[in-house]
Amino acid sequence: MKKLMCHLVAGYPTMNLSFQAALGMVEGGASYLEVQFPFSDPTADGPRIQEACVQALDGGFTLREGFLMVRRLSRTIPEIPLFLMSYASLVVRRGISWFLDQAKEAGVQGLIVPDLPFDQDEGYYEAAWERGLHPISVVVPTMDSKRLDQLLGLLQSHGERYIYVALRTGITGDPTNLSDENLSFLNMLAAKELKVLAGFGISSYGQVEALSPYVEAVVVGSYLVGIIRESTTRFGGSSPDQGESLKRAVAKAVSTLIHPV
Amino acid sequence: MRARSLVDGYSKQEVGNNPPILTGFFGSFGGRYVAEVLRKPLHELEEAFLSIVPSKEFQEEYQAKLKSFVGRPTPLYYAENTTRLLGGGRLYIKLEGLAATGAHKINNALGQGLLAKRMGKKRVIAETGAGQHGVAVAAVCAHLGIPCRVYMGEVDMMRQKPNVFWMERYGAEVVGVSSGSRTLKDAVNEALRDWASHPEDTFYILGSALGPSPYPDMVRTFQSIIGVETKEQLASLGLKPTALIACVGGGSNAIGFFSPYLYPIDESEERIKGTETSNMPRLIGVEAGGRGPGKGQHAARMSGEGKVGIVQGYKSRFLLDEDGQVLPTHSVSAGLDYPGIGPELAYLGDRGRIEFITATDRQAIEAMDFFARTEGILFALESAHGGAAALRLLPSFSKEAVVVVNMSGRGDKDLFITARELDRERWREFLQREVDSLGDAL
Repeated sequence: MKKLMCHLVAGYPTMNLSFQAALGMVEGGASYLEVQFPFSDPTADGPRIQEACVQALDGGFTLREGFLMVRRLSRTIPEIPLFLMSYASLVVRRGISWFLDQAKEAGVQGLIVPDLPFDQDEGYYEAAWERGLHPISVVVPTMDSKRLDQLLGLLQSHGERYIYVALRTGITGDPTNLSDENLSFLNMLAAKELKVLAGFGISSYGQVEALSPYVEAVVVGSYLVGIIRESTTRFGGSSPDQGESLKRAVAKAVSTLIHPV
Repeated sequence: MRARSLVDGYSKQEVGNNPPILTGFFGSFGGRYVAEVLRKPLHELEEAFLSIVPSKEFQEEYQAKLKSFVGRPTPLYYAENTTRLLGGGRLYIKLEGLAATGAHKINNALGQGLLAKRMGKKRVIAETGAGQHGVAVAAVCAHLGIPCRVYMGEVDMMRQKPNVFWMERYGAEVVGVSSGSRTLKDAVNEALRDWASHPEDTFYILGSALGPSPYPDMVRTFQSIIGVETKEQLASLGLKPTALIACVGGGSNAIGFFSPYLYPIDESEERIKGTETSNMPRLIGVEAGGRGPGKGQHAARMSGEGKVGIVQGYKSRFLLDEDGQVLPTHSVSAGLDYPGIGPELAYLGDRGRIEFITATDRQAIEAMDFFARTEGILFALESAHGGAAALRLLPSFSKEAVVVVNMSGRGDKDLFITARELDRERWREFLQREVDSLGDAL
């Protein structure tokens, strides 16, 4: 069974179209959704996602609208777990409690905040667990083993099973090869009965097929941002069918990642 | 000049008999808020910084090159004409802008460049705003024979074209950054991304005392030469400073200039603030007041609306909106046009040890013009913010007071900005003739 976690930027290309794109992802067979709230300085994202964030912010993205959109999603597709990705600046600005309460209310199940590492987290991990939310750590195969043990110990002591693996030392959008280093890292995590979400650079059925046996879900990010951009550009303007055609294009792209052509 | 050691590193923590380790924090500011992929390279950098930089071999090489390559010590100049004109305290100017490549940036670029070399790194990357740090890194890399790539926002490339030209002459590859506001902060983002993709062979020479630990400690260490030298130069005249004034963008010249006088800060109120009668000088940081108050019009983090936040790997005060998005900034000087401030300066500002004020675009240009006419000294527009504050404050001091302003850079590089502000018509005619003659040559 091939499971995908599909990524989208809230507010890209518009708030409503990003909602439609999310529905398309689910229609195409996504098992999880990762909704990114755009930040002005996304240092851990590659050019495509970065551009999408800039456009979403230029379009007037606010946290208020972002949480409304996520709530609408969680009510429309309650069967799909929603994870929220963003950066520390947005999470701490009004206070971590405020942000997490909003996320919980909106129906989010977990959060991914790459620049709040577990040992410099401003209390974010504990606060998330207190609310029954998953604070999902992003780890890399090059991680120091002592540091990794420390993290895994922390996760185990809270019964936290989700973990997110950035497979290449690099930035989203680079091609990914399943090197021996990557595979042995994934095997090691799987042996600890963790639910591994892994990706970066996934754009083909072959890659999904290769990675699937080792993970809970394969993460697809930049590729889908590209699909959304293409589809929006192709249909252009503000035609009433735009949402529908975007949804179809995204659904098709997701489906071809799961099923051989 | 005596060798400097990490005894001057403030965020260190003594643990039993072990050597000092960096905590990376200044109060609650600082830290290392980065994605996991950057933890390892930052940890390696910290270890190299702590073990290599204090060593005798490193210090000997660094100090020798500061003399022969950078041109240190830079002079401490008594601004006699200004002192006579304005009354009040005696004004001294630390002519840091006379260092090679025209600004203090080279102190840090050289230090980190030598460290890169000793770590066996094959390639150097850097970000630049005004271009001064980029030029310094490019020159250092040419000197040390290391390939160099400099990231620069496209807006900054447009307004600091001469520096792009000089970086390329030094053999650096200058890469324009088209994301975000296309200024310094976006160049930092791009450099961080590059480093995350090539951590093994690449050394990132960060230009200001900010970013994830150990950069704030490391940059202060390499810039502390400005303050140490100033202190010795004053002592040789039998003087102690009453007040030190420096412009603050990210804050590397300020933290280096202030470094001998920052701590301890946990004693009497008088000692914290610094007064004319106390042993501690007043420390005054000058931020870019730009066109005045209002979103996007300035870069006043400490003296304006700066909020506590976490951006680009460190916790400090930033110009942020209610959601935590980084706000646009403005300053006539590209080097002060940055939404954050180094964590140690923010901490010392919140504690009251450093006073923060602003100077506007107009005041900076006027100060630049004043010092050129009155003293024969040309301030960079960044440093002229410090100069403007000195002119404003000098009359309020007593005759015995010694006020020192750091001219962190010299103003040659600003020709294209100052000429259009101060001599617009004749500058236009000159440029037109230049363009015409270029056309003839084709």
